[in-house]
Amino acid sequence: MIENLLTYIIFTPLLGALVVLFLPQSKTSSFKWVALGALGVTLVLSVLAVTSFDASVEGLTNSEDQLQLVDKAKWFSVELGSLGKFSVDYFVGVDGLNLSLLLLAAIVLFIGAISSFGIKQKQKGYFGLYLLLSTSVLGCFVALDFFLFYLFFEFMLLPMYFLIGIWGGPRREYAAIKFFLYTLVGSILILIVMIGLYNSVYDPVKTGMEAGVIENVSEASPEVISNIQFAVQSGQIESENIVKSFNMISMADDANYLPDSFLGKNSYGEIFGQSARWMAFLALLIGFAIKLPAFPFHTWLPDAHVEAPTAVSVVLAGILLKIGGYGIIRTAFSFFPDSAFHYAWLIGFFGLFSILYGAMNALAQKDLKRLIAYSSVSHMGFVLLGLAAMTVEGVTGAIYQMFSHGLISSMLFLLVGVLYDRTHDRGIENYGGLASKMPKFTILITIAFFASLGLPGFSGFIAELMVFIGAFKSSTVIGAIPYWMPVVATLGLVLGAGYYLWTLQRMFFGKFWVKDKAWRETLVDLNAREYVMLIPLVILIIWFGIYPATLLDLINNSVEGFTQLLILSVE
Amino acid sequence: MIDLNDIISTTEFNPLIYWIIALMAIPLLSFFTTTFLKKIAPVWATLLLGINLSISIYLASQYWDTTGVSIRGNWFSIGDTQLTYSFLIDQLALIMLVVVNFISVLVHFFSMEYMRHDENKSRYFGLLGLFTFSMLGIILFYDLLFIFIFWELVGLSSFLLIGFWFEKKSASLAANKAFIMNRIGDLGFITGLMILYSQFQTFDLEGIKSLTVLSSIEDENWVAEYFKNGELVRNSLDGRWLSAAGIALFCGAVGKSAQFPLQVWLPDAMEGPTPVSALIHAATMVAAGVFMIARIFVILDAQALEVVAVVGAITAFMAAVAAFSQFDIKKVLAYSTISQLGYMVLAMGVGAYTAGLFHLVTHAMFKAGLFLSAGTIIHQLHQLEGKDVNFDPQDMRVMGGLRKYMPVTFICFMICALALAGLPGFSGFLSKDAILLNTAVWIDEKGGGFYFIEVLAFATVLITAFYTFRMIFLVFTGDFRLPKLIPASATLKPLQEGNVFLKLPMVLLAIGSLSIIFGFTMKAENTWFYQLIQDPIFLVPESYAAFNLMDLPHEWFENLHSQVVVISIGLALSGLVIAYFLFKPGAKFSASFAEKREPIGLVGQISFYHWYQNALYEKVILKFIIWKARRIAWFDRVILDGFINFIAKFQVVFAHLIAWFDRNIIDGFVHLTTYTTGRVGQLTRSVQSGNVQAYIMAALAFLILMLIWLLF
Repeated sequence: MIENLLTYIIFTPLLGALVVLFLPQSKTSSFKWVALGALGVTLVLSVLAVTSFDASVEGLTNSEDQLQLVDKAKWFSVELGSLGKFSVDYFVGVDGLNLSLLLLAAIVLFIGAISSFGIKQKQKGYFGLYLLLSTSVLGCFVALDFFLFYLFFEFMLLPMYFLIGIWGGPRREYAAIKFFLYTLVGSILILIVMIGLYNSVYDPVKTGMEAGVIENVSEASPEVISNIQFAVQSGQIESENIVKSFNMISMADDANYLPDSFLGKNSYGEIFGQSARWMAFLALLIGFAIKLPAFPFHTWLPDAHVEAPTAVSVVLAGILLKIGGYGIIRTAFSFFPDSAFHYAWLIGFFGLFSILYGAMNALAQKDLKRLIAYSSVSHMGFVLLGLAAMTVEGVTGAIYQMFSHGLISSMLFLLVGVLYDRTHDRGIENYGGLASKMPKFTILITIAFFASLGLPGFSGFIAELMVFIGAFKSSTVIGAIPYWMPVVATLGLVLGAGYYLWTLQRMFFGKFWVKDKAWRETLVDLNAREYVMLIPLVILIIWFGIYPATLLDLINNSVEGFTQLLILSVE
Repeated sequence: MIDLNDIISTTEFNPLIYWIIALMAIPLLSFFTTTFLKKIAPVWATLLLGINLSISIYLASQYWDTTGVSIRGNWFSIGDTQLTYSFLIDQLALIMLVVVNFISVLVHFFSMEYMRHDENKSRYFGLLGLFTFSMLGIILFYDLLFIFIFWELVGLSSFLLIGFWFEKKSASLAANKAFIMNRIGDLGFITGLMILYSQFQTFDLEGIKSLTVLSSIEDENWVAEYFKNGELVRNSLDGRWLSAAGIALFCGAVGKSAQFPLQVWLPDAMEGPTPVSALIHAATMVAAGVFMIARIFVILDAQALEVVAVVGAITAFMAAVAAFSQFDIKKVLAYSTISQLGYMVLAMGVGAYTAGLFHLVTHAMFKAGLFLSAGTIIHQLHQLEGKDVNFDPQDMRVMGGLRKYMPVTFICFMICALALAGLPGFSGFLSKDAILLNTAVWIDEKGGGFYFIEVLAFATVLITAFYTFRMIFLVFTGDFRLPKLIPASATLKPLQEGNVFLKLPMVLLAIGSLSIIFGFTMKAENTWFYQLIQDPIFLVPESYAAFNLMDLPHEWFENLHSQVVVISIGLALSGLVIAYFLFKPGAKFSASFAEKREPIGLVGQISFYHWYQNALYEKVILKFIIWKARRIAWFDRVILDGFINFIAKFQVVFAHLIAWFDRNIIDGFVHLTTYTTGRVGQLTRSVQSGNVQAYIMAALAFLILMLIWLLF
């Protein structure tokens, strides 16, 4: 195993960005190879991280012992006098909750880089920004210090803004600004909670060191930590010795909240007459639900997708949306499991609503890319529904859905890109009978459509099945959401079949017909580069549909640790 | 108490697994390889299926007498829940294996001629392989989740085969309709999976059945208690979920087996090539629903079974009515298939497990035979089409008198038709009779409002015979109508019998439709089929269970049997006689048949438009959904996104206001301040004149003022 593996994974693309930056303009044709190379290395390292991951490690999500490949270094700290001290760490690590998403990000970024080969203007800027985006996305998935996480989370907006705003379609400025501002609103909600949390949470190990209970980190056995926690809770440690922290793992443990702090479990902090913890939970939830996106915060998504260049759409749908789901798991649910239970009904309802609402919208779209964008809204609804269930099956399903949707939606957007490259038009009504003109393209899009509508044999089916059974079981096991929710949610499957098959019938079947005669020449079947992007995705989608154990064996223990945390808080 | 993990533990290695893998791998191989074998694809695919049939027969001979061999292994785990896969080779699976592979081989063989001139025939044979693979999955797996997986794959291959001629808009619309109608049923299937999983945490049928026996009803709650990983699990659901589970799973069968109200896809599915209709939409895929009900039969409770019976009876009757006014020969057969599937479902509903499955097998033979015979006719008529001669070779209006031209086809069609009509001597008689008998007994026991089921079931016998003989009279007797309709066609080559590729499968299926195949008897219970497969006992808690037919006194069956036989033969013969008087050559309806347009009169209309169900779905429900979707999209774009844009615009306007405020008010205030300061400065500057006397005067004045303020 390589030391500091995760750090290499995060910063290899950044290194690539620097190389691109310093290469002279005359070497324009090499930029894409640098990007591909850097992301190739990242992919290899990520696969290495997955293979070196020890699946047998158990533990609650709030224990640092269950983390693997941890890199932790002191970043900076500030003395606050009698208020103690606050410290920020460079802290990255993986457990079953983010491992799959790290792998997904590496895969999708790599394939996105291949698809970016078609970019012809301002290549230096494009590939530089793309690599920058890669670093912030990868960092976001493995950062375990809230400050660091937030930094990566926010930093993502910058390259994304320019990638859409410069290389996008006709309404790119509008879409870029909308995306930027909308996400920023979510970020502010998250920032507010982050500040509240930092005021309430301390790091027991560092506090112990500061107070002189222990000498160095290696002495911090679980026993010692619980002694320190007891001492803090009972006020035995001077307040100036308390080290406040942004550690996301500490934040998930009630014992790490200062007595009488604003967001502590037994605090009386209130906002608008509601428990402060509930409000903080809602703020995090909304912040990440914008990213996910869930109804009613999704309207930025269709615009961003339609205007973004293909590779950016792929990254957006394939990975960026998953940060929303991951954020809800890692922050909102982990920090405030009691609030999560309190609002489970609401979350489940919005999940259900997103499923149906997104699907109905997709049914009415005339633009192929918009249709797929809305189908993403529908599929991300499953993530919310699965999480709201708070059962092992539901949460596993939610994570699996994110992983699977990452692969499937990437493939879908790549395929739309194939068509757009040839005709610069995405209108569903402008095509007919493409199957006879582009048979191979039709086969692949049929595979992608069926995978997306949840046909067994493809990864999406396993994910949705787990969400369904987990959500239904919820009422029996924990009582988070009622029985009817998953039953009604199955309607999403019919609507999904409806909009995809209708599109197939309108665009691909029937007699060949296109709106513009000139397209008859430009519409040629897939080329080698397109196969290189698409075939691996097909293989992965089928592999994870037939043999889910590949992923589930890695994440089972962590998901159990997570649901255990939720259940403990309810009891 | 039982530990779940013991029930679903991995079985010891059994070499049988190789045969199972081979059975599924061979058709899959056909699917993956035919694309690359343009010319020899048909022969290759047929050969592969031939191997599969041999394996099936071999397995059947090996495991004929065993009680069932199961093989189980782990698939994946979610948390501490192990999901498994399992196969069960029992008599039912063996019979289905042989039937499916047998018909599949025949259809492959038939297609070698039927699709000879189609340029995409390699794709066609590949898809047949995909279908066979999926269908065998349903048969071999003994795990509801896997059955569901292959169930959907069957739906996929059906979609691809119905839409095989995708350039025809009607074909791709029909394919969509089939898939979506099946999907609607599958929502029920998934719901059933959810309910069973939340109780038992397994999809393995062995596990589900063992734990269902142990479950109980306590205070109207359905309680399942068992150990899992050594820990006691006690899951409880409202008792109604027990019925709901059965009904929900049955919904899946409603979709796949084309039952009311989802049956509308099957007639449209006739857009696919005719051999496909024979294999998928008559003999196998549509029977998968019945097979699935058989697999879950013992966990259905009384209420669910009532629903099954009612749906089956309604379907049988409705479709039979629709069959008697169609012009398209395949449409007649499609409605007839729906109707016969209704019989099978009805049988399951009344608890006549064996009778239902028996009808499945006999129907597979005679209906595939009918479809292939019809396919031969269509194929041979198609040969007559030419540059100036365009007609629909499926339309019975162009047929007539074909007996003279195609005697072998006529005989095969006739035998299968007699089986369909349920006349003695043919297989359909035995199985249909068994269903009617069991239904009659069940209703005698059940009583109440269920008599209408019996009425529908017997009425269907009459109508079935009627539409069957109407078809025979119109197709095979009288004069050939095509030359009269299109005189140009008379100059072309004459209509001929099909070649051996078309004949052989037809003949074999016709032989399979003779009752002698199943035993030299008039009673279903004396056939070998009944020796192999018996009605199982219901496993659900007693207060919810239906009564087992076998617990009823045997005399009831004895006494009713002769009545049922007499009535059903009488009804079938009446149907024949009515058809004879209406459609014999020169009779009232057949004389003007060639010029006939859509039927007149209420009954005719209802029949022709299948109770207006399509109209309801397409013109009302589908339109409503699309309209609703557009409304929602409008809401999303205009209201929701509009709101966001409004906020953004409001922000901008507000920012301008602030800017104005800043420029004019705040900055104005600054200007005012500086101006005032300046003025005051100028004012005070004039005071500071350097005149010492003036300063003293001012100081004095200030002092006096201070003193006044202090003193008073």
